[in-house]
Amino acid sequence: MFQFLQFALVRASMAIFTLLTVSLIVFTLMELVPGTCAERYLAFKNTQGSGISIEDIEAEERRLGLDRPFLVRWTSWVGNVFLRGEFGDSCILRVNINQLLGDKFAISAAICFASLILAYLIAIPVGIIAASSKSEWLNGSLRFVSYLGLAMPNFLLALMIMLIFTVLYGDSMTGLFSNAYRDAPWSWDKVVDFLSRAWLPVFILGWSATAFALQTVRALMLDENGKLYVTAARARGLYGRRLLWRYPARHALGPIINSLGFDLNRIFNELPIVALILTLTEAGSLLLEALARSNDQQLAGAIIFLLTATIVALNFVTDIALALIDPRVRKSVVGG
Amino acid sequence: MTMEPEGTHGTTGPHVEVVETEDAVERRAREAYFTASQRQLIWARFKRNRSAMVAATVLVVLILMGVFAPFLSPYNPTVAGRDKDYTNGAPQIPMFCDQNGCSARPFIHGVTRERSIETNFRWVTKVDPDKRAYVEFFVEGWEYNLGPFTFDTHLFGVDEGYVHLFGTDDAGKDIFSRTLHAIYTSLAVGTLGVLISFVLALVIGGVSGYFGGVTDGVIQMVTDAIRTIPIIPLFMAVAAFIPDTWSSETRFFFISIIIGFINWPTLARRVRTHLLVERNQEYVLAAQLQGAGAGHIIRKHLLPSFTSYIIVDLVISFPYIVLSETALSFIGLGLKDPVNSLGVMLQNTTSADVLLNYQWYFIPVLFFIALVMAFVYVGDGLRDAADPYGGSRK
Repeated sequence: MFQFLQFALVRASMAIFTLLTVSLIVFTLMELVPGTCAERYLAFKNTQGSGISIEDIEAEERRLGLDRPFLVRWTSWVGNVFLRGEFGDSCILRVNINQLLGDKFAISAAICFASLILAYLIAIPVGIIAASSKSEWLNGSLRFVSYLGLAMPNFLLALMIMLIFTVLYGDSMTGLFSNAYRDAPWSWDKVVDFLSRAWLPVFILGWSATAFALQTVRALMLDENGKLYVTAARARGLYGRRLLWRYPARHALGPIINSLGFDLNRIFNELPIVALILTLTEAGSLLLEALARSNDQQLAGAIIFLLTATIVALNFVTDIALALIDPRVRKSVVGG
Repeated sequence: MTMEPEGTHGTTGPHVEVVETEDAVERRAREAYFTASQRQLIWARFKRNRSAMVAATVLVVLILMGVFAPFLSPYNPTVAGRDKDYTNGAPQIPMFCDQNGCSARPFIHGVTRERSIETNFRWVTKVDPDKRAYVEFFVEGWEYNLGPFTFDTHLFGVDEGYVHLFGTDDAGKDIFSRTLHAIYTSLAVGTLGVLISFVLALVIGGVSGYFGGVTDGVIQMVTDAIRTIPIIPLFMAVAAFIPDTWSSETRFFFISIIIGFINWPTLARRVRTHLLVERNQEYVLAAQLQGAGAGHIIRKHLLPSFTSYIIVDLVISFPYIVLSETALSFIGLGLKDPVNSLGVMLQNTTSADVLLNYQWYFIPVLFFIALVMAFVYVGDGLRDAADPYGGSRK
């Protein structure tokens, strides 16, 4: 038990260290981008007709605290984020970022997790079957399909599905809510409406994630299948599903759990593209909007930090889960 | 290896004619196997992998198509080469026969553009089956540069009018020419990106692996932190700040650099692992005992021991680089006209109008899929071939 606590503590501090590093990187990048928040906001004002001068910009910078040194500003940003969960105000929109992102972020995270789960629900059984089957044909075609999942741009898939729906039902399936519920408060009907539409992004995001997951599962199972303990178990008369689930599958599980974080990362990478096609209003498309339209550093930083924090949190949880299943992991405190 | 029992030199007794028995041939083959260099071994194993060989052929063809794009494409891929009388035109396939008889030289039908009361006063392109444009080879067309030389010869063209194998887009640009140039651009961005990430990986992974200990620990923690950041949103953030005034060339280099920065952590980790393992090998110790300096060991022993693996890693990472370029360009944050990459071509397909009416816009997508698949298969084949235990498993 003590060992486990120690492990959890070390992992937690490593996660926090990672988050700090990430926040520094993100903050620096947002800093490197030409132009400060004050300049941009006032330039925006300028286009609205109110003339501004250098003094105005400097006053605005002082008001926003932009005249302080870089490290001080970073510390206060990080402090606010970590201790109070506050991301401050958006640069252009002048709205509190927490409010702005609100449940949009929760929805997009939910969609991503759902597609991750979908990917592994398909990949684990199929991967195990592929690895244990001797059929060249089955293996070859599975490999082909999963590479196709990688190579075929998922926006293409999204377009096709949308087209089919437009032709068949006259509803293009864009957006996460139908018009009736878009601005309505959460209710049971709204949830049903949401679910009836959310499957499409989940499916499309899950499509290429499945391709990767399938490769991982198959490779791991092949590795484990060749090991001596499997041969030994087979020699003792175990065979078929019993053998597969009790021996190699259990060992392959560890690395799979470990790779979940990176799978989530990959899904986040594809989220903006799919969101663009489906015109979703969750964080993915909001990110694009914040970035492409208004050059809003604060908002961009907040979104990227949130996404990364989700991945770090998932990594932490999977580490703990692994330690619970596998005593060897507990022992190697820093290893991994 | 065993000593050769029937050595021909320095033996007493009657002279024996050495006959090439099958055994000897086999032994020579085995000898060649044991003395073969890393690269020869990988190539030998790679050749046995059928799907990888097919993919390699496809890849080579695609690369050649990209490199010789200006020669192969009949028209300038930018607006300069547009065919304004044939916008959104369907692909024209050269044929040998039509209702007016056959010809030894392939031809296409000419087109006319007309606007009348029947067409609701919209411009409509009609195929005129009585007009023929014959396909010609090595025709002179728009000028292009290959290195310091300027050429104007193109592989094919037609004697009058235009030929569009893959049709044209809404501005009348030839999709065939654009596809070839897009392949070239995507490959060039990818190569540049791979080189950048390779250098970064070599330096960072090299420092990490060579020094080990605390340095290694710190670098690994930072690398891991970087690896957790979802890259595409991050670079969307950066790319959004590219000023609109940048020329397409500047954009091109900027995107390549960004893509180089996407990929280094994975590669760096491989370099580090290789170095960590190789550093403790006996041959390194042997070299050290003989008084070789660190620089000599790194250059003559360590680097050759894993260059082939690094090349394999580079090939494996290539499709992902092409994919990230496509993703960036697709969102509209990467390359833009007149530089056209596969991402730009893919972006053109995203409207329902295209899907319903102008399906030939999707031809570049097929090339894109083929390119990525070929890379992935070749990468896979190389990885299997580079794995020294690959043959013994299964």
